[in-house]
Amino acid sequence: MSYLRLGLVALAGLAWFLLLPDYRTLGINLLLLAGWASAWDLLGGWSGQTSLGHAAFVGLGAYTVAVTSTRWDLAPWWGALLAMALAALLALLWGKLTFRLRGSYFVLASIAVAEILRLVAINERELTGGAVGLFIFDLKEPFGLDLFGRGVEFWLALGYLVLVLAIAAFVTRGRLGYQMRAVREDEPSAEAAGINPEAVKLWAFAISGGLTALGGCLYGIVLSALQPQPLFEIHLSVRIALVAIIGGRGTLLGPLVGAALITVAAELFRNVFAEANLLIYGALIVIVVLFAPSGILGEVHRWTVRRRYARGARG
Amino acid sequence: MPAALEAEAVTVAFGGLTAVNRVSLTVEEGAIIGLIGPNGAGKTTLFNALTGHVRASGEVKLFGQRVTRLPAYARTRLGMGRTFQVERPFEGLTVLENVLIPAFLHTADRRVAEARARAALEQVGLSDRALQPSSDLNLARRRRLELAKALALEPKVLFLDELMAGLNPPALRDMISFVRGLADSGMAIVMVEHIMQAVTELCDRVVVLAFGERIAEGTPQQVTDDPRVIEAYLGVEEDD
Amino acid sequence: MEGLVPLLQNVTGGLLIGGIYALIGVGLSLIFGVMRVINFAHGEFVAIGMYLAIALFADLGLDPYVSLLIALPAGLLAGWLIQRVVLARLIDSPGDSTLLATLGLSLVIANALFLLFGAEPKSIYLPYATATVNLAGIRLPVAQLIAGGITLAAIAGLWLLLNRTEIGRAVRATAQNRLGAELVGVNTRRVHALVFGLGMALAMAAGVILAPLLFAIPTVGSSYTLKAFVVTVLGGLGSVPGAIGGGLLLGVVEFLGASYLSSGYRDAYGLFAFLIVLLFRPQGLFGRETKRV
Repeated sequence: MSYLRLGLVALAGLAWFLLLPDYRTLGINLLLLAGWASAWDLLGGWSGQTSLGHAAFVGLGAYTVAVTSTRWDLAPWWGALLAMALAALLALLWGKLTFRLRGSYFVLASIAVAEILRLVAINERELTGGAVGLFIFDLKEPFGLDLFGRGVEFWLALGYLVLVLAIAAFVTRGRLGYQMRAVREDEPSAEAAGINPEAVKLWAFAISGGLTALGGCLYGIVLSALQPQPLFEIHLSVRIALVAIIGGRGTLLGPLVGAALITVAAELFRNVFAEANLLIYGALIVIVVLFAPSGILGEVHRWTVRRRYARGARG
Repeated sequence: MPAALEAEAVTVAFGGLTAVNRVSLTVEEGAIIGLIGPNGAGKTTLFNALTGHVRASGEVKLFGQRVTRLPAYARTRLGMGRTFQVERPFEGLTVLENVLIPAFLHTADRRVAEARARAALEQVGLSDRALQPSSDLNLARRRRLELAKALALEPKVLFLDELMAGLNPPALRDMISFVRGLADSGMAIVMVEHIMQAVTELCDRVVVLAFGERIAEGTPQQVTDDPRVIEAYLGVEEDD
Repeated sequence: MEGLVPLLQNVTGGLLIGGIYALIGVGLSLIFGVMRVINFAHGEFVAIGMYLAIALFADLGLDPYVSLLIALPAGLLAGWLIQRVVLARLIDSPGDSTLLATLGLSLVIANALFLLFGAEPKSIYLPYATATVNLAGIRLPVAQLIAGGITLAAIAGLWLLLNRTEIGRAVRATAQNRLGAELVGVNTRRVHALVFGLGMALAMAAGVILAPLLFAIPTVGSSYTLKAFVVTVLGGLGSVPGAIGGGLLLGVVEFLGASYLSSGYRDAYGLFAFLIVLLFRPQGLFGRETKRV
């Protein structure tokens, strides 16, 4: 029940963004970040595999739409489908190679993979326009909607977040979601329960990567001027991961809470800290790790689970 | 009719050390086989080889089907269940969620899985603790949760790793009659045990391991009277 | 002999920069070997060293090689404090806690540097250091030679510390077996703080040495963190001699790759090597047993 209330409050806040056109870009960024973090969480929170390379999927999504629309005049929705397929393929290959690595080694490998993709994007000028980048000049208009209009983009971003949350809710309430939790908690025990840990993690990675890439497609359209650095850089991967961790890993709305908190805080402190708003990320993650290791909603969830059991036991 | 479990010349070697050397055994449906032996005899290693957690040579068959090359999760899907000697609950989850996970083995429908999970909890007497965080349970309840997780798989062959250890006399009696009930319902059971009371009361046959080799097999009485077994143990424990 | 000169030039250049990479990697490896902590802020420690040297040069006219004398103890102290205040609490925490804490730290440091120094690239211009020395046809920049010399001295000093002093024995004991070390009376908490301080001091020293060679921008830290990871994985996480080998190897690989293959992918060669080693020889090229994280 409390989740429902929280969700309503969040939606009300989002509606506020819509009403004030000045904040629309901020709103779009918040929604995209929340979507990416929620997608990340399927792998990082529910399945327990911390990735610091998810920007690779964002960049893949953005560049796929850019390249297919400028080179082959492909409508962006087909470009997005292609991007998601490529992302899932990337995730499967990446996962197959690196899931055997324990804990922090996997994290390091994820950084390396994203970095390599960034370097490819910078160097393959033929394909990606190199360091100068690509411009998306015009796009097909679905139902007469101008995809470059901020209003349209806002609703698309909102739709994206809702889609990611819906898929996450569906997955985590069902069999795969429980298998993901089992693999996260104790692999041998999960194996004894009939679960193939590698297969579960690959599913999680593919879904996570595909959804992240979809957000990347939209981000590419929002930016319309793409460059490798901001799309593939480790700072983006770190932001996505930290938002989910601060908000609460393994909770449905945690990443959204994290995204809202950080985006608003960064905006408030913008005047004081100018471009150094990542400082907030840094300070928050240290605080969370020290005092609230399950993240904001994670700690709330643990508290309510205890309360619910205590109440039941007494009654 | 093929036996529930057939192991032939199972051998486990780790870099020069042979932990289990050509051990064979057969378990029929509804039978309870005890696996005993002094510490370091290779019981747990054999256990892990039979359940697929450790690689082994030789042959292992479940209901006539060869599973030797299959990993643990594949064997589970063919009807095998196990408990761990040191319980492995899914720490961050509630009791019910713990049992829900194995319950999903043969179904993708959450309601079916939940019903099966609740049934398993009912069987072991943990229904009232369904919503408790599994990390908060005491030893006896953790043990029962471990058992519930295995039962939720609806296994045809159940492997119990020192299920009776550390239980006080009333809990021990309950557990013994519980296991007897499982076998009576047709489940084949392989149990590693040190608690001789459980072995004598439950096991139809006992296999004795020492230094990785099978040194004796027979009824509990035959085995406890066997001088080779006595020698291997330097005295058989009455109770643990 | 003619054709050999460019090759030797590349190899020597690679070894010189590799020495600095080694210096950075050694600190990270030491921290991991003793504390089992992956220090995500390591590159930022290098950045602090760079900016410290730049600031002291700009405001006080201090030669960076003199600033080293300030940087080393400052790093030791700062590292000690960070470990005591933040990391010590996480010693028994699950999985990625220390990784995340050091990651957070790296963000705080990088952004603090940005606030203090701004985004423009900064460097130190040392007239004597830009000269080059000619050795058998190979041109060696003086600054890099000095860097190489200091690196050797630092590593020698570290070796002496670890192998010839009581403290060094305590550190090595803690690295092997924390519980065991405590049982024989080693104060492992103090060892951890010391080791983190040493790691930070070495990283800052590397930064000071780099200041005359490169331009510093606040984001330079993350690229050095990545380099440090590559070095330590190549050499075997936790192995100090391995880190030296790994650093030198990385330097040479980068130079050769950039010269003979493609210079745009300079950073990628190290990353590929890194992934390959992680996947096929996780104990590192020079390591022995598998270190589990």
